[in-house]
Amino acid sequence: MSEPPARRRLGPALLAVGWLVLLLPPFYLSAFWLQTGLFAMAAVIAAIGLNLLVGTAGQLSLGHAFFLAVGAYGYTWLAGSPAADEGLSGLRLPPAVAFVAAVLLTGVAGALFSPVSGRLRAMYLGVATLALVFVGQHILLNATSVTGGFNGRSVPPLTVFGFVFGDTDDGLTVFDVPFGGLERLWYLGLLLVAVASLLARNLLRGRPGRALGALRDSETAAAVMGVHPARYRAAAFTVSSMYAGAAGALLALVFQRIVPDYFSLGLSMSFLAMVVIGGLGSVGGAAAGAVFVTVLPQLLGHFADRIPLVVAPGSTGTGLDASDAADFLYGAALVLTLVFAPDGLAGLLRRLRLPRPRLRAATPQTSAVGEPAVGDTLKEQTL
Amino acid sequence: MSAGIDVPELRVHDVTVRFAGLTALDGVSFTVAPGSIHALVGPNGAGKSTTFNVLSGVYRVASGSVRFGDAELTALAPHRIAALGIARTFQNIVLTRGTVADNLMLGRHTLTRAGFLTSALRLPHVRGEQRAHRERVREIADFTGLGARFDTPVSLLSYGERKRVELARALCMEPKLLLLDEPVAGLNTAERAAMARTVASVRDALGLSVLIVEHDMGLVMRMSDEVTVLDFGRRISGGTPQQVQRDPAVIAAYLGGATDAPVGEETR
Ligand SMILES: Nc1ncnc2c1ncn2[C@@H]1O[C@H](COP(=O)(O)OP(=O)(O)O)[C@@H](O)[C@H]1O
Ligand SMILES: [Mg+2]
Repeated sequence: MSEPPARRRLGPALLAVGWLVLLLPPFYLSAFWLQTGLFAMAAVIAAIGLNLLVGTAGQLSLGHAFFLAVGAYGYTWLAGSPAADEGLSGLRLPPAVAFVAAVLLTGVAGALFSPVSGRLRAMYLGVATLALVFVGQHILLNATSVTGGFNGRSVPPLTVFGFVFGDTDDGLTVFDVPFGGLERLWYLGLLLVAVASLLARNLLRGRPGRALGALRDSETAAAVMGVHPARYRAAAFTVSSMYAGAAGALLALVFQRIVPDYFSLGLSMSFLAMVVIGGLGSVGGAAAGAVFVTVLPQLLGHFADRIPLVVAPGSTGTGLDASDAADFLYGAALVLTLVFAPDGLAGLLRRLRLPRPRLRAATPQTSAVGEPAVGDTLKEQTL
Repeated sequence: MSAGIDVPELRVHDVTVRFAGLTALDGVSFTVAPGSIHALVGPNGAGKSTTFNVLSGVYRVASGSVRFGDAELTALAPHRIAALGIARTFQNIVLTRGTVADNLMLGRHTLTRAGFLTSALRLPHVRGEQRAHRERVREIADFTGLGARFDTPVSLLSYGERKRVELARALCMEPKLLLLDEPVAGLNTAERAAMARTVASVRDALGLSVLIVEHDMGLVMRMSDEVTVLDFGRRISGGTPQQVQRDPAVIAAYLGGATDAPVGEETR
């Protein structure tokens, strides 16, 4: 059931063009849209990670926001400078080291949850991870020397070999476009997204991905094939946490100041929405879902006042307030996507590419392959 | 029969399994000789699948022991039992989403090592391992008549083909003991014959032991070396197919149950 060769070559070509196009926005888009794009990139990384857990391993987590917070605050504290007047501590590590260490720290946090994440299945894990978000909020508000408490803490910019991914006055311009923090972070974000999706794809196509998929479809069958259920569940949870950690650290760089409020249960829910809308199980789907959930509300908010019957905020005409209209449209888009593409954006794309009836007709008759070729014998393996 | 792999004896001794208020297995004992095809038969609800679930570590016993060589299986988790070289299929097909190849590669889980980090980085030895095992998996697919379906999603396969995928996936574990739970149930005549041939030739080529649950008595009588008969969780008879066929206890059990194929009737 191989695809036609032309189509098979079209996929990678489209992907390459897509990546090239993604190099352009810093030259054309305003700061608002660059920031939206960077939020989307962080969301893509987090969603790819959550998809490993929810889509592939069939586990539920409402604790993703907690691990984003660990990544964001971890980076900020590890790279941050102590400030006695504000009562802040910091390790003053080189920011690039702090970034990597923050991801590892999030992995440790995820691994510490193994006794729970290995033992509990699906919904039960989902409920247990609720606790993480609440405990997380408590810590963020009260461990003030690390987090800065309610008012948060400003985030030191990332520097790699002296190059600052932030606003500085080094006067860097590329093709007459001044390159400030957002422009620079854009390319860092793209790089992180590329690495995150490549690693996830390798993982899913390899032995761990198969084991996790088997676990999702039947724990008994997976165990009987030799998969250690608790160990693999816990590992999936840990890896998914590390993705959240990387996303959190990137978000912190974009925000430049992080506050506890952001890392709420609502954030966890929106990641779930991303992986469900994306279509559970594929890297591309999770990425598409993340872009959908982060960018669509912004687009709608931005253009809602041009829709008939919608009035600009504050004006006194008869009609819907623009921000309300954006909310309604966003809600409707979510519901419609789920109703008409129950297998998500990834499934929608699959169906467009491979019309099912033709696929069935193209497969050979059952009876023709029902019997093994005569004279074929199985030899012992020679591995 | 080649003796290339070292196959231990499977010794089930006095195994009892209880579910709330129900004794599914009651002091069952039997032995599967190395390299033999051993059939486990009995009316519906006799405890055959329960026996399989005990052997593969899915159910815990109330008492009794199951030894496979030196290993005591009743104390082991399913994934440990799999690592000893015991593979099984399910009465109700249980496959994973994905292609035939994906499912068969899952069968290589205990024989491969690639972990999360090395797989994510696709290190050279991971790629080498994947390639080598995929080659062997392809051989097994060809052998079980699934060669043409190697890259087909299992959701597009016929029922008979999916039954084959289960068998092939179990074979991919290079097992010493193969547990087959009703491998020809629901198949048509040609598919049944092909499946029986495959099982027999696997045993002949690899010298492994096969424990098979089957209602098709004609098939059981033809292919098995030894038969154990269960009824209401008890072993009521055992021996060669001819001995069992003549045993009055067996005839009574089947006539009493009357839902399954009577002993000796060739259902071909
Ligand atoms: N997990 C379980 N919980 C409760 N009862 C079970 C369970 N598994 C099997 N049984 C019962 O044990 C008995 C034997 O079932 P089974 O081993 O499936 O029979 P069969 O010989 O048809 O394969 C039946 O009465 C069945 O209802
Ligand atoms: Mg059964």
